[in-house]
Amino acid sequence: MKFQPLVACAALLALAGGAGAAPSAQAILSASDAIRNPDKPFGLTVTLVEYRNGKQSDSNTLGVYSKADSNSGQFRSLIRFVAPARDADKLMLKNGNDLWFYDPSSKASIRLSPQQRLLGQAANGDVVTVNLAKDYQAQLTAEEETQDGERETRRCYKLALAAVSPDVTYHHIEMWIDSANNRPVKARFYTESDRLLKTAYYRHYQAQLGVQRPTETVIIDGLDPNWVTVMRYTDYAWRDVPETWLQRDYLPRFKPE
Amino acid sequence: MDACLGSPSRRLLILTLLAAATAVLADDPDAAALLLADKTATETAQGSNWRLFSEAAWSESTSRANAARLQVERLSLDVRYDKTFAADWRAVFADRLDARWEDRSSHETNVNTLKEAYLSWQARPDRIADLGRINARYGVASAYNPTDFFRAGAVRSVVSVDPASLRENRLGSVMVRAQTLWNEGALSALYSPKLADQPSDSAFSADLGASNGRDRWLVAGTQKLSDRFDPQWLLFGGAGQSPQLGLNLTALVNEATVAYVEWSVGRTPSLISQALLLPEDIAFRSRLATGFTYTAANKLSLTLEYQYNGAGLNQADWDALRRGPPINYGRYRALAANLQDPPTRRKVFLRGYWQDALVNHLDLTTDVFVNPVDSSRQFWTETRYHWTHVDAALQWQLNSGQPGSEYGASPERRLWQVLATYFF
Repeated sequence: MKFQPLVACAALLALAGGAGAAPSAQAILSASDAIRNPDKPFGLTVTLVEYRNGKQSDSNTLGVYSKADSNSGQFRSLIRFVAPARDADKLMLKNGNDLWFYDPSSKASIRLSPQQRLLGQAANGDVVTVNLAKDYQAQLTAEEETQDGERETRRCYKLALAAVSPDVTYHHIEMWIDSANNRPVKARFYTESDRLLKTAYYRHYQAQLGVQRPTETVIIDGLDPNWVTVMRYTDYAWRDVPETWLQRDYLPRFKPE
Repeated sequence: MDACLGSPSRRLLILTLLAAATAVLADDPDAAALLLADKTATETAQGSNWRLFSEAAWSESTSRANAARLQVERLSLDVRYDKTFAADWRAVFADRLDARWEDRSSHETNVNTLKEAYLSWQARPDRIADLGRINARYGVASAYNPTDFFRAGAVRSVVSVDPASLRENRLGSVMVRAQTLWNEGALSALYSPKLADQPSDSAFSADLGASNGRDRWLVAGTQKLSDRFDPQWLLFGGAGQSPQLGLNLTALVNEATVAYVEWSVGRTPSLISQALLLPEDIAFRSRLATGFTYTAANKLSLTLEYQYNGAGLNQADWDALRRGPPINYGRYRALAANLQDPPTRRKVFLRGYWQDALVNHLDLTTDVFVNPVDSSRQFWTETRYHWTHVDAALQWQLNSGQPGSEYGASPERRLWQVLATYFF
């Protein structure tokens, strides 16, 4: 499979640090991206459970098809709401800043601004299917031990990521990547004014589409730590996602298998 | 309990440890969050081909004429079925039944709206054909949709003046439709034949007279020009009318604002000549809705929309109609309502929508329609709270203006509506 050489290559680049020169921070980040993101179009089911002050306050299930843009490397996604029943069958297209929402009941195609999207649960998708190496310049700031999402101590590269363009969601990011295998362990996302927006733990690694990938991300709001979102990924599968589908005119047609 | 905890000193030790653990968790939000995540149930909701909800509503309106109050109870059942079968085929069915009782009478009024019933065949990933009754709705504006060419006569049962409700609870038209897609663009063509002469008031009629009263066709093409800009062009025509050109344009102004323009133009008669069967006054007339939606960081969205109907009456003619024979006024208003067109040239729409207002799951919506031609206004507000399967909402509507003005002529001055919706 195509992704395996890529991961292996990235891992080799990272491991090269042990043999001689220190691994490139950008290579570590790329290898970490490859673990989170399959390199071919894929589908999965995302379950989001939101907690506020220790109590479950919301739950959503989404069917998602994603495909990376061959130029920008960023993911374009077709999303169908599965649950709750109120929102079932509503659809969303995310293609860069081209964001559309479609309700099959009213047949209304509504263009969303990035601000509207950021207010919804979908904003957390940025923490998951985003190729950070494309949008951020990485710098290795430390190699240290940190506790992962399973409360185990991991030896990690600590990377400082700086946005290379102003239109990305997060101005800078701190990221801890397992130095043994380039798995993302946790990340902290910041605004330009250095305000913590969210913390993410990537955990519950399982073999999915040929690679050990995190099947759960725990997201803690930076401003209100009592606001916690758990994102679970199931039903991973390779999917054919033609380029022609990634536009608003196809959105009403999209129905994941 | 004592046996479990043991001696007082041991109890003290356990309590101290518990307090220390709680303090540690409180100090370490990451640890507390991970603990919470550990407890999250692992089941995944499965998609269903069915979407079904039932709505119970009670409303009280106050008559403008004599302040009499009219109470209406309504029970609605809304079903949608969307099934993919045989790989490339899909069947869609959508129907709504509204049952009403006025002033606690035993007399029941039923209106069934067969919204959609069609088959779809995706011959290739980029070629799709549909056949059946389809709600083919176009338009990017929030309240007035000049390019929604199939809106005329489509609403059988008005349950709310909310523009979203008017779009949702309506008849599709029987048609054959084909669509082809390419990278960042698409072209659709449809033909909707005449199938009946007259609309039907019968409760369970498919009402083909309302949806397919004449032959019509439409071609729509979209081409994305950039992430921020993707115009859609439409050409619509039919028996007894000249082709109409339509344009839907949205643009991302900045990270928080989306602007839109929806425009149609073509040779059409004025509404007044159609309503009063006057000599034809066909001329190029345009219809327009343009505005923007701004979303603030606190989840408050504001929409401002300007509406223009080139086939509607200007101020002088509108004033003259209001002073003239009531029968002419009635015919004109009935036609404009049936076409979902503003009766006058200009109108302004303002919407405020605040998601999770004050508390989580509480949504506030306020719509204001202002007719600057006759200074009448409609104010509609909704407070909606939602649980997992249930929505509860309180709506209030006020129609104000001079007699004979767009909103001042409404038989209801005020209306309250309480409703509960259960999503199965």
